[in-house]
Amino acid sequence: MSRIRNTLLLTLLALAACGETTAPGDRPADSEHRRPLIVASNYPLYFFASEIAGDSADVKLPEMAGDPANWKPGSAEISLMQSADLIILNGAGYEPWLGWVTLPESHLVDSSAGFSEEFLPLREEAVHQHGPQGEHSHQGVAFTTWLDPSLAAKQAMAIEQAISRLVPENAGQHRDRLAALSARLETLDQAFRETFDRLGDQPVLFSHPVYQYLESRYSLNGVSVHWEPGEAPGTRAMLALSEILRSHPARLMLWEEEPLETTSVELRKLGVQSLPFHTAANRPDDGDFFDVMEVNVASLLLNCCGTTIGPQQEPE
Amino acid sequence: MTGAFFLGWRYLAFHKLKTTILVGSITLMLFLPAAVRLLVNDSATALTARADQTPLVVGAAGSPLELVLNALYFHAEQPPALSYDNFSELRDAGLAVTIPMYTRFHSRGSPIVGTTLDYFSFRDLNLAAGRMMGMLGECVIGANVAARHKAGVGDSLVSSPETVFDIAGVYPLKMNISGVLAPTGTPDDNAIFVDFKTAWVIQGLGHGHQDLERPQAAASVLNRSEGMVTANAALQQYAEITPENAAEFHFHGATGDFPLSSVVVVPPNEKNGALLRGRYQNNAKGIQIIVPSSVLNDLLDTVFTVQNYIILGLALLSLATVAVITLVFLLSQQLRKGEFLTLSRIGASKTYLATLIASEIGFVFTGSLVLAAGLTFITRQYALQILQIFLGF
Repeated sequence: MSRIRNTLLLTLLALAACGETTAPGDRPADSEHRRPLIVASNYPLYFFASEIAGDSADVKLPEMAGDPANWKPGSAEISLMQSADLIILNGAGYEPWLGWVTLPESHLVDSSAGFSEEFLPLREEAVHQHGPQGEHSHQGVAFTTWLDPSLAAKQAMAIEQAISRLVPENAGQHRDRLAALSARLETLDQAFRETFDRLGDQPVLFSHPVYQYLESRYSLNGVSVHWEPGEAPGTRAMLALSEILRSHPARLMLWEEEPLETTSVELRKLGVQSLPFHTAANRPDDGDFFDVMEVNVASLLLNCCGTTIGPQQEPE
Repeated sequence: MTGAFFLGWRYLAFHKLKTTILVGSITLMLFLPAAVRLLVNDSATALTARADQTPLVVGAAGSPLELVLNALYFHAEQPPALSYDNFSELRDAGLAVTIPMYTRFHSRGSPIVGTTLDYFSFRDLNLAAGRMMGMLGECVIGANVAARHKAGVGDSLVSSPETVFDIAGVYPLKMNISGVLAPTGTPDDNAIFVDFKTAWVIQGLGHGHQDLERPQAAASVLNRSEGMVTANAALQQYAEITPENAAEFHFHGATGDFPLSSVVVVPPNEKNGALLRGRYQNNAKGIQIIVPSSVLNDLLDTVFTVQNYIILGLALLSLATVAVITLVFLLSQQLRKGEFLTLSRIGASKTYLATLIASEIGFVFTGSLVLAAGLTFITRQYALQILQIFLGF
C-alpha cells in the first residue's frame, strides 16, 4: 500500500517537474578567465596564503577594524567570501561569525583542523543560565595558534594543500614557496626560543589571554589578565593585579598594542614594565608578518631579556 | 455524394444523446491508455533525470525510497535523522563535495530546505532577482513559491508550526527573502532555501537574545554569581534574525548531535564514489549510502509493471466497448430499415446508403479521436492540478 502511495507521489512530483519547461538560466558572465580568489580571515593566514600562492591566485583580507577575532562581517564582506574559491579560516573557534554567516562549505579551509588535539583550552569559562536549557557555558580553546611558529607552519602546509588542489598546475611552485616560508618560520621559532630562554622562569603577565600558544611553546611562566590597551584598568583591576603579583611577582607585561601612558605609569609603580608584543592578527601599518615578529623579538631583547629587570623609578 | 454525408451528420445531430454516449465511450477508450502511458513516461523521464544528476545520497539507515523522496523531491515524510557529526565525518574524508540537507519544516505549504550554498552550484540554480542568502534567517525562494505567494526580494515568509497545538515546540521564524531563483521545472521551484543552521533555529536548537553581560540586559538578570548569570522570564528573545542581532544567535548543546535529513554527495570521480560506498556498505554505523537512480529504477520497474497491467485491463475494456458499439450500430440498422427503404424508393443507391452509414461511423470516430487528442493535450498541461484535486495532495 505504501509502495503504491509512493508511486502516486512520485508521479505527482515528476509531473511537477514536467510542468515547467524553462531551461536553467545561464550563469552570470563568469566565462572570462580570472585568477582564483582566496579570502583569509586574519592577517597571518592572508600573509601565508599570499606567500604560497604567488601569481596563482588573488588573495584578499577583508577590511577589518580592530581585532579580526571580534570581526562581524557585513553584507559586502559576506558577498566577497561567497564569491571566493577558497575561504581560509584559522579554526579553533576564531571565527564565531561562521555560526550565522552562510558560506559554501566546500570552499572553507580550516587551517588548524589537522592539529586540533594540540589546541589549548581556555582557562576561563563564562557560565550563564537562562530558559529551559539551564546552566551552560561558552567555553572553547585558545585560537592565536600562529604565535607558535611550529603550528603556524602546519597552518601554512594546510593552506598550500588547499591552494594546490585549487590550482594543481602550479603545485610545484606552491611547494617551493611553502618550503621557503617554513624555513622562515623555523628561523623565527629559533629567535623566539633564544629570546625567551633569556627570560628563563621569570613570571610574566599578559594583558589579554591570547598568548597561550607562545606560553606553551616556550614554557613561559605567565598569567593573563583582561586589560584593554586603549582603556585605563581602573582601581578594581589594579587591586586584582596586586593580588596576582603576590603569588606571581612578574616584572613584565606583554600587550597586544602599546598601552595608555597612564597605564604604563601605574604598572611601573608596581614594578611591572609594559611591552607590546603584537600578535599581527590584523594587517600591520608597516612591514609584513615577519617584520612584526622581528620587532617583537628586538623589543624583548632591548627592553628586558638582555638586562636584569628591576623596579622602575618614578619618572620625574 | 455530399448529400449522404449531410444526412449522416444530421442524423447524429438529431440523436444527440446516442451520439454523445458513443463519442464519449470511444473517446475514453482511446484516451485512457494514452494518458496512462503519458503520465508514466513523463514521470519516469523527469524522475530519472533528477536522480541521474544526483550521484549519491547519504542518510540514516531506513527506507532508501523515503530518503530519495526527501533529499531530491523535498517530500514531507521524514527519513530517520542523520547527525551533523555524520556529515562532518563525510566532509572531512575529503573524497567528495558534501551538501547537507535538512528538509523538515514548511512555510504556507512550501518545504523549507536547509542546505548550503554548494547546493545551488550543484543544481546549477541561478538567481532571477536578489542575491543568495548571506546569514541566518535569510532565504532564497523558488520561482513557483514567488508566484504562489506573490513574494519577492525584501518580503518575508514565516515558518509554519509543525502542529497547531505545538505551543512549546517549533518557533515560527520570520525569514527575509534575499533572492528569487529562476524557474527550472524541478522541485527546486517549489522550495524555500535557507542555511541549514536557520532550520536548526526554526527547530528551537538555536536562539538569539540580549547579551546578559551588557548593562542593557540588567533587568533580565535574575542572579549573577561568579562566572554564572541566570536570566529571568523578561529576557527578550528574537523572533526575527536581522543583521543587527544575527551575532547574538547561538546554539545550545553539542552541534555534532544536531539533525540533518540527508547529505548529497558529489564525488569528483568514480573511484572516490566507490570508496565512499565501500565505507558505508551494509549500513555501517547506522548510515546508508544510496545511488538515487538505482533506487528509482527499482521503483520504476514496479511502476511500469503496474502500467502494463492497467493497459492490459484497458485493452480488454476497449474490446468490450468496441463490441458494444458494433452492437449499437447493428441494432440501429435494424431500427432504421424503414428509413433506408424510403431512401431506396426515392432513388438512393446501395452505395449511397453504405456511404451514409460509413459517414455516421466516421463522424463518431473522428470526433472521438479529436476529443481524445484534446484531452491528452490537456492532461499533459494540467496533470499536476488534476491529480492534486483527485488525490488530495
